[in-house]
Amino acid sequence: MKTFSSAVIALCLSALTMPAVADGYPQRAVQIVVPYAAGGGTDLSARVMADAIEKYLGKPMVVKNMPGGGGAIGLSSVAHATPDGYLIGMGAQGPLAMLPHYGGIDYTAADFDYLALMGKNLIVIGVGKKTPFQDAKAFLAHAKANPGKLSIGNSGAGGAVHIAIEGLATTAGVKVKSMPFGGSAPAITTCIGGHIDAVAAHPSELVNHVKAGNIKPIMVLEATRVKEFPDTPTAKELGIDFTWAAWKGIVAPKGMPAEAKVKLAGALQKVFADKDFLKKMGDLGEYVEYLPADKFQALAVHDATAAEKVIRDLGLYGMNVKKK
Amino acid sequence: MGNLQHILAVFQPYTLWLIALGTAGGIVIGALPGLTATMGVALLIPLTFGMDPVAGLNMLIGIYVGGIYGGCISSILVKTPGTPASAATVLDGYPMTLRGEAGKALGMATIASFVGGIFSSIVLATVAPQLAELALEFGPPQYFALSVFGLTIIASLSQDLLKGLIAGLFGVLISCVGADPISGAFRYTFDSTGFAAGFAFTPALIGLFAVSEALVQIENILEEKIKELKISGIWPSREDMRASAGTLLRGSIIGTIIGIIPGTGSGTASWISYNEAKRTSKTPERFGTGYIVGVAATESANNAVCGGALVPMLALGIPGDVVTAVLMGGLMIHGLAPGPMLFQEQPRIVAGIFVGSFVANIFMLVFGMAIIKYCSKILSVPKRILTVAIVVFCFIGSYSINMNAVDLYTMLGFGVLGYLMQKFDFSQAALCIALILGPLAESNLRLGMMKVDNDIIAFASSPITITFLALTVVSLAWPIWQRHQARRRAPA
Repeated sequence: MKTFSSAVIALCLSALTMPAVADGYPQRAVQIVVPYAAGGGTDLSARVMADAIEKYLGKPMVVKNMPGGGGAIGLSSVAHATPDGYLIGMGAQGPLAMLPHYGGIDYTAADFDYLALMGKNLIVIGVGKKTPFQDAKAFLAHAKANPGKLSIGNSGAGGAVHIAIEGLATTAGVKVKSMPFGGSAPAITTCIGGHIDAVAAHPSELVNHVKAGNIKPIMVLEATRVKEFPDTPTAKELGIDFTWAAWKGIVAPKGMPAEAKVKLAGALQKVFADKDFLKKMGDLGEYVEYLPADKFQALAVHDATAAEKVIRDLGLYGMNVKKK
Repeated sequence: MGNLQHILAVFQPYTLWLIALGTAGGIVIGALPGLTATMGVALLIPLTFGMDPVAGLNMLIGIYVGGIYGGCISSILVKTPGTPASAATVLDGYPMTLRGEAGKALGMATIASFVGGIFSSIVLATVAPQLAELALEFGPPQYFALSVFGLTIIASLSQDLLKGLIAGLFGVLISCVGADPISGAFRYTFDSTGFAAGFAFTPALIGLFAVSEALVQIENILEEKIKELKISGIWPSREDMRASAGTLLRGSIIGTIIGIIPGTGSGTASWISYNEAKRTSKTPERFGTGYIVGVAATESANNAVCGGALVPMLALGIPGDVVTAVLMGGLMIHGLAPGPMLFQEQPRIVAGIFVGSFVANIFMLVFGMAIIKYCSKILSVPKRILTVAIVVFCFIGSYSINMNAVDLYTMLGFGVLGYLMQKFDFSQAALCIALILGPLAESNLRLGMMKVDNDIIAFASSPITITFLALTVVSLAWPIWQRHQARRRAPA
């Protein structure tokens, strides 16, 4: 009797564990947290990706928007989730490499497993058609002659674009007025309206306004010129040794099972080379640039160090740390 | 000839079917608290990937139009704003329901939404490129002046000016929670990452209006003071229409203009329209007591925003509000770049969107009028069951927005706050307006002052800024003047 019942139990247990071994990861849909509101560039990229990845992953991917705090709220939930491979997140330079330096945030860049870099968001400075100077030389001359007067809009306080412009100004030895708006769209609109001198934004956000003649791109913060704006010089060409690009990629809570990690990273690599995916991303004006997990992590660590220096120079380091 | 072809293209059964589907879905999304038009559009963008762009985009516009309208249903019937756009409709819509006039209130809301929607669609189709420039006239000082003007609504909303101001200022204070818009420093977050972005707006709104009302209902049930509600006819009377005619037109104009101005949307438009209707009314004291003109004011304005917000999106590539920002992403995935070039390169798309927004509004009118009778049935559900159901929906709705458990605490906290405010006669509406406009006023004041190096004369130098600041003074002085006049007449 005893042997029989133990045999039954053993059989039941093996029946319970069998499918897991046979089918492997993923068993069900994978959630991806987008730490921004629905409809922005990162959100749409994630949705295009989620739509395309099913055929490589075998299960659907579901986008979950958790906006707020410049991306901190969403990434905090990813950092503290169970690392089972069923909840991952869109990580971006701002919330991963910058926000932790201000303090008051319950994660650091080291709390994540890095899966793949999706693409870079290059940074371009543009001026409105009503701005009195229309090229980079006049722009820099104006900034030198009037310290702290030249106004440049960015998409949010302490975010990637804000820090990039501060870094550029320090390298160029000028003082500018960084004006943080609640997103890139209001910053660009305000610049087109002539209420501020210039705006810093990503090419995808500017390209239609440049085509319409409302914004003129005067400087890119890349090592080489960008394909959208072939006539726009780089900061390096103008004698300022400074480059900066924001980026976004897929991260997961640290310590996920190796099987899930390999499977996800593989599916991501395939989807980032998928023709249909690349076409849609191209229409959105997004740069897709795949980097595997280790290189992505190295990039995040490098940028976190570079950002820390700028943030310290600005006197903002640790400003949100609780004072005891 | 070419244009006619583009217009007729919309009237294919497939496209019409998608617009109808979008509008009907939008009404449901709007009526459920927590689900907003913005979310509806964002979620369905991937569905349009395989569709013809005109059909897909018009389905999204249907969701937009239906979603803004749908919010009024739950506002009027159960005092739960389905979307922030319909929060102001609670003021007169819900008292009408309590009087047994839910059908009429919904009927007027539907007609007003239709009038506003069609008005703004006409503006969109005729003078979009000319009017779009208005979007560029607004810099930080102009936004600041507009939001301060909006904040004066507080004065005219409250019977007791002092209590209204206390509620309003408390709202401004509450809106300070979260990351400072200029420096990024966290304010009053008590080291909780969950509050890094401040209190989430929609959960706060649901708590303030719906949860507090549920608490009042529970109290009534315990004291056995339940009133069963009757449902009247759905068509407003001829006198109602005559009384509302001017307000409908004014609401449509206000909504269209607010729609064109980026950064402000249907939430702001409905409050400003309500305030203007009350200020110019011969019987301002009837507002807030279930006056049908109040419903006409808010609902015409919030649906007029739809067409208005599409104006700068199509003409300049600048979204007029949050929903059109999402919609613009949808256009771009289809390889269409909104902006002046679109009119030249893709007249088919532009004409299709023009016609689609008309069609969506017509569907909205038909569906709206058809479902009123069925929606109103909700009132015959026994109060004890209905109240529990509403509370459950409040939780689901508040959580579904950001998937953040912190938002549930926000909702409950604001629910208790709203309940106490009701008990002690503080205006919840004043607090709500401050939550919408306080952050807009703060960030734009600081950005504007930063730009001019704190030179207040330079800050207030543009005609638009001066106009709005002058309107602010008028709007503040008006109720005082009216009261003064009433007092002078009274003893005689």
